[in-house]
Amino acid sequence: MNTKYLIAAVVVIVLIASAAFVYIYYQGQPSGEELEALQNLVDDHGYKTSLTAYPEKIISVAPSCTEILFAIGADDKVVAVTNYDDYPYDFAAWIAAGNMTSVGDFTSPNMEVIISLNPDLILASGGVQEDNVRSLRDFGYKVLVLDPTSVDGILKDIELVGNATGKQAEAMTLVNDLTSRINAIAEKVANATKPKVYYETYYETTSSWTIGALAWQNELIEKAGGINIFGDQQTDYYQYQAEALIDRNPDVIVLPASGMGTGEQASIDAVKARPGWDTMSAVQNNRIYQINPNIIERAGPRVVDAIEQMAVFFHPELF
Amino acid sequence: MSKDEVESTFFRRTSRWKLIVLLLVAALIIIVIVSLNFGSELKTPISFSDILTILGKRIPFLGDHIDSSSITLQMEAIILTYRLPRVIAGVLIGAALAAAGVLYQGVFKNPMAESYVLGVSAGAAVGASFAILSGISFAFLGLGLLQVAAFVGALSAMFLVYSISRVGSRVPVETLLLNGIAVNFCGFAIVGLLEILAGNELGNIVGWLIGGYSNILWKSIWSVLPIIVVGIVASYFFARDLNVLSMGEETAHHLGVNVERSKQILLVLASLITAAAVSISGLIGFVGLMIPHLTRLLIGPDHRILLPTSTVVGAIYLVICDDIARVITTPFLSTGEFPVGIITMLFGGPFFIFLLKRKKGSYKP
Repeated sequence: MNTKYLIAAVVVIVLIASAAFVYIYYQGQPSGEELEALQNLVDDHGYKTSLTAYPEKIISVAPSCTEILFAIGADDKVVAVTNYDDYPYDFAAWIAAGNMTSVGDFTSPNMEVIISLNPDLILASGGVQEDNVRSLRDFGYKVLVLDPTSVDGILKDIELVGNATGKQAEAMTLVNDLTSRINAIAEKVANATKPKVYYETYYETTSSWTIGALAWQNELIEKAGGINIFGDQQTDYYQYQAEALIDRNPDVIVLPASGMGTGEQASIDAVKARPGWDTMSAVQNNRIYQINPNIIERAGPRVVDAIEQMAVFFHPELF
Repeated sequence: MSKDEVESTFFRRTSRWKLIVLLLVAALIIIVIVSLNFGSELKTPISFSDILTILGKRIPFLGDHIDSSSITLQMEAIILTYRLPRVIAGVLIGAALAAAGVLYQGVFKNPMAESYVLGVSAGAAVGASFAILSGISFAFLGLGLLQVAAFVGALSAMFLVYSISRVGSRVPVETLLLNGIAVNFCGFAIVGLLEILAGNELGNIVGWLIGGYSNILWKSIWSVLPIIVVGIVASYFFARDLNVLSMGEETAHHLGVNVERSKQILLVLASLITAAAVSISGLIGFVGLMIPHLTRLLIGPDHRILLPTSTVVGAIYLVICDDIARVITTPFLSTGEFPVGIITMLFGGPFFIFLLKRKKGSYKP
């Protein structure tokens, strides 16, 4: 009699425990549509990656990817970032304290570190990283390349990372929030006169670099209610002669890092003192603005901050 | 025979000289003004009459009477801040290289002599390469570390070659020539080593070795202008000594020319002029070697006319080459333009061969 109850009790406990185990195990794991999306992740270079479960260990080899991961709450899955990562947290301090692993340089991440961490998923950007991406895939790692060419592309990347990490809802909320902020700016500047904007990426005395129509910063300028003064050039980065800029006479000058590679930012006084620049309307009217290069050159959620800041530069009377 | 008698026998001053120099200077001025037309494609094109107005306004007194209502501030900045210094730099550098070429060829009595002799180019190249690799930037009298290092390198190489070539109280030309070539090879070997070590800076070193001055502004011009002008004018006073030297050092000595002193002064002048020019432009080839030959083919060997005409022809030649460099722009180069040093060699070489062929390959020093 007692034995019967005992057996029954044990069976019930085992069943509950198993059910609980199974529930806990499968909680947060994909099913149905979510599973289908996870098995068909197509990145910005058209490469298809197939995952069967949400990744537990993610390595981000680009600051822009890290910013997206943290913005949608995938914090606890990120096991390693680069030395350049500084947002939303001071990752250098984390790395120094041993709370985060560094894969080293952005342009040449340390393959041995990556392999030793055995990640389930790696997020990378395009350009200089393409060779690394190829060798990581040769090693059999799952790599998503986030290399958007437009603001819409950045929003799509946020959804893609959401699908890959099981943070669909958070990604959707973020995308909706960013979209409504962009729309709010668009509404505000809709009827304002658009200033001609010069965006400097690298300065040399007589021939410097700016952006043409194909850089997505061009779109940020447009969304902020300005016109890129070299937007008629069908290229991403564009080198011009100083006289071409003086001729086009910009109303506003936006300065992210002015030394490609050096990260050095030109001071406003230095810009005013450049030969012949005092003839430009932007210099005469004191409309030269520095902007944090990290918000405007990283294809992450903070590009919307860049749009908002530039809208104030371009249309101070509206804000 | 006295020095004057020799000159009146072998070198005859003709009445055409003044006319030739006058015509060349007029041609240079016209070419300078026409060259101001060339540049980037502009949204508000600057017409030729706009350019004349902008320049005319700068003439004292007369300028007040010129109607400048069609001229914008931007047009003025484009012409006066960017295009004019670039064209003037062409005049200055072309004149300097050609004049120095005449002096080197005259002193060495050697058709191959130019700034490579005496190691001047190599010295400048070593200085410039170290400056590029150091990555340090500073400004001194409108010159950066690169310019100062090139200038110092050029002059040190010359003094080195000169002092090791001294035999007793004499400095024989043959010894100078050979030592110069040896120092030159050593110098370019060092540059080659630096190029291998250069990494990302390789392009900058190669660019400097090819030569160009697309980044030139007034302040760099002011800093070398006095050296070049004073150097060329001073060397003109030694034109007669060069004539006599071309008859052989022995003869020159007997005719009362202080051969060693003249040689010394002329080499220092030529090296100073060259160092000043290459410090702001990099090593622009062909001009120093070929322009004196070209002028000699057309005008004769008398240094009193050869020096001024070569100077002006060198200026004209470099300004035209730089115009070509600005017109053929290419997106494939980091500067967006062909370096003018490529143009001077690419177009100049065949042209010179053509002229030499027409003169039936003859060379008269």
